[in-house]
Amino acid sequence: MSIDFLLGLFAHSFSLWWIIWPAILLGIVVGILPGFSPQNTLIMLLPLTLAVPVDHAFAFMVALYCANHLAGGVPAILVKIPGSGGAAATTLDGFPMTQKGQAQQALVLCFTASVFGGLITSIATLALLPWLSKIGLYLRSVEMVVVMLFGLTLIAVIAAKDVLKGLIAGLFGLLIGVIGTDHIYNDPRATFGFLELYDGVPLAPALIGLFAVSEALVMIEEKMIVTAEGRERATRSNWADTMEGLRIAARKWWHIVWCSFVGLFIGIVPGAGASIGAFVAYQQSRMWSKHPELYGTGIPEGVIAPEAANNGVTSGTLVPMMALGVPGGSTAAVMMIVLQYHGMVMGPRLFTSHPELAYGVFVSMVVAYIFMVLTILPMARYMARIVLFETRYLAPIIILVTVVAAFVERQYLFDMGLAVVFGVLGYIAHKTGYHVTALLIGVILGPIFEEYLVRALRLHQGNPLALFSSTTGNVLWVLLALSLAVPALRAWLRKKKEST
Amino acid sequence: MSGRKPALGADLVIPALALAFAGYFFVSISDLAWEAKSNGVIIGTLLVALVVAQVVRIALKVARGEASLGFDALYRPREVFVQRLALVAITIVFIVAMPWLGLTLDLFAGMLAALYVVGVRRKTVLLGVSFTVAAVVYLLFIAALDSAFPHGPIEAMLAPLWH
Repeated sequence: MSIDFLLGLFAHSFSLWWIIWPAILLGIVVGILPGFSPQNTLIMLLPLTLAVPVDHAFAFMVALYCANHLAGGVPAILVKIPGSGGAAATTLDGFPMTQKGQAQQALVLCFTASVFGGLITSIATLALLPWLSKIGLYLRSVEMVVVMLFGLTLIAVIAAKDVLKGLIAGLFGLLIGVIGTDHIYNDPRATFGFLELYDGVPLAPALIGLFAVSEALVMIEEKMIVTAEGRERATRSNWADTMEGLRIAARKWWHIVWCSFVGLFIGIVPGAGASIGAFVAYQQSRMWSKHPELYGTGIPEGVIAPEAANNGVTSGTLVPMMALGVPGGSTAAVMMIVLQYHGMVMGPRLFTSHPELAYGVFVSMVVAYIFMVLTILPMARYMARIVLFETRYLAPIIILVTVVAAFVERQYLFDMGLAVVFGVLGYIAHKTGYHVTALLIGVILGPIFEEYLVRALRLHQGNPLALFSSTTGNVLWVLLALSLAVPALRAWLRKKKEST
Repeated sequence: MSGRKPALGADLVIPALALAFAGYFFVSISDLAWEAKSNGVIIGTLLVALVVAQVVRIALKVARGEASLGFDALYRPREVFVQRLALVAITIVFIVAMPWLGLTLDLFAGMLAALYVVGVRRKTVLLGVSFTVAAVVYLLFIAALDSAFPHGPIEAMLAPLWH
């Protein structure tokens, strides 16, 4: 790939600004709405993407996809309602920042981490695509079981305040995640007789119920969602707060880099997604931090880690699609449909038959992120003002609009009812100290964990030792053990040092 | 507040729900192959063990006189609890009525009722916020994205504008 060729791709992508910008704006709008995934939007817009030339279609889809991932963090920070599963971990520190009157800084951190996380991984993908595509071949079901465990250990981290309650919530979520037909024989399990649950518990209603509906039911106890001090600070917010957010992000540049690579590597594995990437990055960020006890109280690293990772995933999911012809996620699958309609055959040959398209995708991604940062950073100041609305206006809007959004993914009224059920469950959990995030981690990761676990065991005739049968897997086991042991050891040493 | 025992009965609601669900789960998988139930059995067994531990923990506190079995955490403050119940009821009615009223009219009516319940009384605000929310949702979901939401009189009336 020559420099001239690359510059030509950039020039072409910049010339598509008229299609990238609307896609970014649409991606931001639908990303803010909980439960509205990029694949739903792309499916609805198929008539458009099928009608335009393939490079235009791809620029549009990629920009919408990236913007959607970025915007999911906005409601997570402002009202503790993640726009997508990938932003669920952002609520842990993003919302506490808002309560302290630092919504604008948190938004800027979210946007910066997302944009630079996406930019870095897009550029890395562009440079290392042939090698990155092989990662998917090394991470098979055995290895993915361990990767899932990295995410699931976050339940234990969250449970630190009340271990028993946290673990009950997490395991309850995991068991809810097992609802639906099994992965081998398609036998229904615990579906309560509802056909709508045969595919498992849909993520959007669970997310909306556990976070949006329950949070709205709780927030009406207070006049506003921010503390009195936070309100005063939010009222006085100005451009200096945006600059402060940028300065914090610049100081944490290394955090953005490594967390985005966590997302990239996880995104490359077909079937893994932004939720796993964000949870694993948050867990790792906390595990290796010098002050893990501050996570959950509203610290910048807690916003940066999940946001950089879930945008790193965007580049990663496209790698197996472009290089191997295997979609890395449901959005990539929709993109593949569009490309196949235009006569493109995905896989290694695409790089020789249509290099301008194969590499152009990642160039479009870089360009989309550049446009995105220019579009969304100035918005942070105005978006942050939403916390100044009284809860008596916010709560009814949140409940009814998000319940409406629960319909969109599968277009069943049943899912709206399911969101209410999860809302009541989330409310009870919230009021009694059972962490809803632990519950959601279980619901999100449960089915994926089971899929990989059963596949790994079945390939080895049910022998559990199979989980220790691969070199890569064993390296990951050691890393998992280290990532759990080292922080505990450090905490013990710190305590010992303080006591002497 | 001083001298009052913490009411921990509410802390048993999630464990009770988890236990009931685990029981139902075990019954539903009893006849299935190991691949279909291995994961669920492990998770369910761990969950039951933890629930038992939680029940014992709370029972000991109650037995020692350190806590009561009240459910205060779930319904306090009481005046807000009534609003919560009303909001949940409105949401259920909103979902049930959607096939007849259509998304836009249903949302407008739902917003009016929900805002009223949480204490908004000014007619201009009630109507203005409800109308704005319904209009934005209509424009996004029906006009722009053409989602398969139930259509009602408003959607029928405005359909010629978009098709």
